[in-house]
Amino acid sequence: MRREHFLLGLLAAVLLALPLALDRYQTSVLVLVFLAAYMGQAWNVMMGFAGLLSLGHALYLGLGAYVSAALFVHFGLSPLLGLFVAVLICVGVAMAIGALSFQFRIEGVYFALLTIAFAEVARIGFDHLKWTGGAGGFFLSVAGSQGQWWNLRGGPLFFYYVSLAMAAAAFALCVALRRSKLGYQWLAVREDAEAARAVGIDVTRARMSAVVVSAAMSALGGVAHVFYYNNVFSAQIFDMSRSIDIMLAPIIGGIGTLFGPILGAFILIPLGEALIHATQALGINAPGAKAVFFGLALMIIIFLAPSGIWPSLRKRLGIGEGKP
Amino acid sequence: MSQISRFAFDRRSLLGAAASLLAAPALVRAQAKALKIAVLLPRSGLYAQAGQSCHRGALAAPKVLADLGYAVELVHVDVESNADTARTAAEKAINEGANCIVGAFDSGLTLAIAQVCEQRQVPLVINIAAAPQITEQGYKYLVRNFQTGGQLVTNGLRLIKEISAATKVDFKSAVFVHANDTFGTAQRGAMDAIFPKADMPFQIAESISYDPRAQDLSAEVTKMRGINPDLVMVVTRAGDAIKLVRDMVRQRFEPKAIISPGSPGLYDEEFYQALGPLADGMIFNLPWANPKSPVTQALEASFKVANPNNRFAVDSFNAGFTLEALMIAADAFKRAGTTNGPTLMEAVRATKIDQHVMIGGPIAFDAKGQNTAIGTAVVQNQKQTPVVVYPADVAAGAPALPLASWQGRK
Repeated sequence: MRREHFLLGLLAAVLLALPLALDRYQTSVLVLVFLAAYMGQAWNVMMGFAGLLSLGHALYLGLGAYVSAALFVHFGLSPLLGLFVAVLICVGVAMAIGALSFQFRIEGVYFALLTIAFAEVARIGFDHLKWTGGAGGFFLSVAGSQGQWWNLRGGPLFFYYVSLAMAAAAFALCVALRRSKLGYQWLAVREDAEAARAVGIDVTRARMSAVVVSAAMSALGGVAHVFYYNNVFSAQIFDMSRSIDIMLAPIIGGIGTLFGPILGAFILIPLGEALIHATQALGINAPGAKAVFFGLALMIIIFLAPSGIWPSLRKRLGIGEGKP
Repeated sequence: MSQISRFAFDRRSLLGAAASLLAAPALVRAQAKALKIAVLLPRSGLYAQAGQSCHRGALAAPKVLADLGYAVELVHVDVESNADTARTAAEKAINEGANCIVGAFDSGLTLAIAQVCEQRQVPLVINIAAAPQITEQGYKYLVRNFQTGGQLVTNGLRLIKEISAATKVDFKSAVFVHANDTFGTAQRGAMDAIFPKADMPFQIAESISYDPRAQDLSAEVTKMRGINPDLVMVVTRAGDAIKLVRDMVRQRFEPKAIISPGSPGLYDEEFYQALGPLADGMIFNLPWANPKSPVTQALEASFKVANPNNRFAVDSFNAGFTLEALMIAADAFKRAGTTNGPTLMEAVRATKIDQHVMIGGPIAFDAKGQNTAIGTAVVQNQKQTPVVVYPADVAAGAPALPLASWQGRK
């Protein structure tokens, strides 16, 4: 057995058994870690693999959340079915944005601005859409539905395994995609689009497929988000800060790597919680300490390890290039 | 035989002792002398200003509650205006022994906490959160001691009518100006639904929305000036309220009154600091601390000691509701005599507190956990301080209408 397979198997076994040793608070922190890792993978497909900077990725998260929640509330459709509609809608929107950008050669920072613009349009649109509660928020009933796993109703332990499965599936999908022909096309386009075009790669098609895969994954993240929280507010789900949160884990862990988003999520969120513990234990009144910590962490990473933590850690662990 | 009996006896004793040991923490918790309350507030991030204001009320609360004979231990937690943090913070607080949670100013944050409280069977007493759906979702472990968005607008409009009659200043036309953020848009929706049924003596000539992040609001003020209404109804936050008034002054637009039918912005310290005398005369119809209540006076005294750099008059809305939420929890604990969640929640639901801070009837909750007896007052900025001017039974000053000219203010 290869070293990386052994380490991955060990990690999976530990994570599966971990709730036995955790209390509810620690379990809920890990739910956030897995959801952050999952969304980080989704964002990484676009930015890390295909070189498309999305600063408005909350758009797909929010659309996935709203569509599945609306189908559940208004038509009683289980989120396990609703997620397909959510994914379809997000893919449609992603294709529209992709077509607009790639047709008019909107690239780099202008593409990033376009993604922000669409997220803002969605925020304002949902603020005024009465069918989904408008600015006052959209709410899922909590009465009498606990334990209905097919409707994604459950506590932290249930969502621990849901989010773990999502993060694991996203990782497996990204491994497969990265090793596929399409994955190599993405890397070629990311490194030099003109050179990729010169060797016969359909750059527009490669980029569009990255946008579509990333949007579809993010839609599923939105479904999990709304059924975990049982409510969604357009001002919060489409907010720029949400998009930044999505990006933080892969940036810290390592953009373009397969394990970077997972590592980044495992570093950022537990350390943030530990910081709160520490300030409380020391009796320090420091509201906002976590946000400051995230900012500092980002600055340190950019200064010391611009490629993220995983690439250097991978070398220390003896895992070769091209592996997770 | 005797050996067997002795063994059986010993085993039973052992099991009994083991059971006592296992149950000891729960018994100690249930028979605690003080109620441990986690106060979850957004003290950083988007809602930091209001969260800090609520926090100052919580800092002043222990002295007031102790003097009233309540025993509480408070744990202050910043939820960073973030639902993820709010949820994990609630789990952590309960793990660390919190028997009750108070918070959390914003509806989204409150709902993130509500789910944890529901699953852990720990009472949540909401200090401030206006989304009507909070008490319509079927939560059994929460109560709300705050008005819904609709109630804020309904009461706000009613009091516009009453203050107009009391001061004999008629409004024949109005403009409704609101920020296009979440709160502003929600209040616009409530206004559109409620105004036609409110039998108001004037019509809304136009509703104008604006971006609260805009550099100035001169275009909106120019539009208002063109309509020249008697009354400008506003739904603002602090920063944009300042810009709005500044542009009114620049363009010398002087309506008879500027009234908020239930929103913040016109009574923040930032507003007074930035505008000085120009802040005077603004009216906001909101639930407010009753200046004549002995509990309010006790809170004010304690607030001055706990927060010497802040004015109670400015913080009294947030601080008052936060103290009341803590008082509800403490009172329920006193009656229930236990911190056991279900029993404590029953006591919370059966609350009836006659002497409290905010204007209105006794604190009590309906079947859904909503306090429907919260009153609303007309509060006016006078000498850069919010003063209750109506209704007369709670007023600490007289209403000054129409609005004084911008020129020559001191």
